[in-house]
Amino acid sequence: MQLDIAPHDTVPIYRQIVDQVRRQVVGGSLKPGDELPSVRTLANTHAINPMTVSRAYGLLEAEGLLERRRGLGMVVAQAPAPQPDQRLALLAPALQAAARQARELGVGSDEAVALFKHCLADLPLAE
Amino acid sequence: MNQAAQLDNAISCQGLHLALGGTPVLQGIDLALPAGAVVGLVGRNGAGKSTLMRALLGLSPPSQGHSQVLGRASTHINDPTREQLGYASQTGDLLTWLTVWQHVEYIGSFYPRWQAAQAHALCQRLQLDERKKVSALSVGDQQKLALVLALAHDPDLLVLDEPVASLDPVSRRDFMRLLFEGDAQRSQPRTVLLSSHLLTDLERVVSHIVFMRDGRVQLQGAWDELQDQLRQVDLPAGSPPLAGTLHQRSLGGGGQRVLVDARLAGSLPQQARALALEDLFVELNA
Repeated sequence: MQLDIAPHDTVPIYRQIVDQVRRQVVGGSLKPGDELPSVRTLANTHAINPMTVSRAYGLLEAEGLLERRRGLGMVVAQAPAPQPDQRLALLAPALQAAARQARELGVGSDEAVALFKHCLADLPLAE
Repeated sequence: MNQAAQLDNAISCQGLHLALGGTPVLQGIDLALPAGAVVGLVGRNGAGKSTLMRALLGLSPPSQGHSQVLGRASTHINDPTREQLGYASQTGDLLTWLTVWQHVEYIGSFYPRWQAAQAHALCQRLQLDERKKVSALSVGDQQKLALVLALAHDPDLLVLDEPVASLDPVSRRDFMRLLFEGDAQRSQPRTVLLSSHLLTDLERVVSHIVFMRDGRVQLQGAWDELQDQLRQVDLPAGSPPLAGTLHQRSLGGGGQRVLVDARLAGSLPQQARALALEDLFVELNA
């Protein structure tokens, strides 16, 4: 599981983890039954407080996105197929932030959309 | 504060005052930090961080007020409690004529829970040449040794005064990981109090933050909560004050930069922004 932690981001680290895991599950890069790294492993990899990881996992478990399996730790729960709307709803905040920045910079709608397409094209193909 | 509350808190103090050479250094500190917390103590040089740590550990007596660590009054720390404390001061307090290896063996003799094998292994991991005398170590390596000596008896409370100031980023990362090592085997995670100017490092690991300025605590709390609750807003001149304002300063042109508790402020203007630790530090010390 790929995780990007930005500690100096204004979003608390636990929420960054929750958001990223949620996006990966909804997007399908994390599938039902996939094991997540243990709290200790994840904390150690990113040199962060294990309680932070614990909290994020706890929240995801409460949400029903993850479940605890004996001997395996946290695993992605079986869930119904995500609705297209759900994925767009999760993408919206990032785009709203980008829209605000575009406005501040005086970048027009067409230019901004063209730039976004460019950014999407630049990404490596999803597995 | 009653006995039960004191035990839930690994570190607490009430109205702590301390003067050094006639100069007030701590001017009424109140703290309540739970067991298992990793507390970042931040403030400009001279804010009183080192003095606070020393007072909490009973190394410098206060002129007024009380403090407790691990349920004991700081002024009455007994041997069993002392064995639960680990402290690395800013200067390291090392004996220059001893080698690294000798330090580990010497300090180890004071602690029943000392794990000599682990301490030596820690030195290896931190790439400390155990044969070297302290006087021949770089400042960074001296800091690493001070850390080993503070950690090796597996204390319940670790107090570290600017422990990583001279370490490179890779070593600092390793140090962060070290703080949590052994937690899985403990019934309760270790409590850590550390001061540092490296705020991006602190942000990775702290559960709580205490901001100090001029011998007083400006702000303390769980860091996740503070991040969620605090917002910075720039108000143009003539704006009505916002409810929940914690701090403000004038900007050029009559405007005000304001720190608000979003839960009390009601609806916030569009431009309210969340803050990283460094931003908050700058605002509180402006």
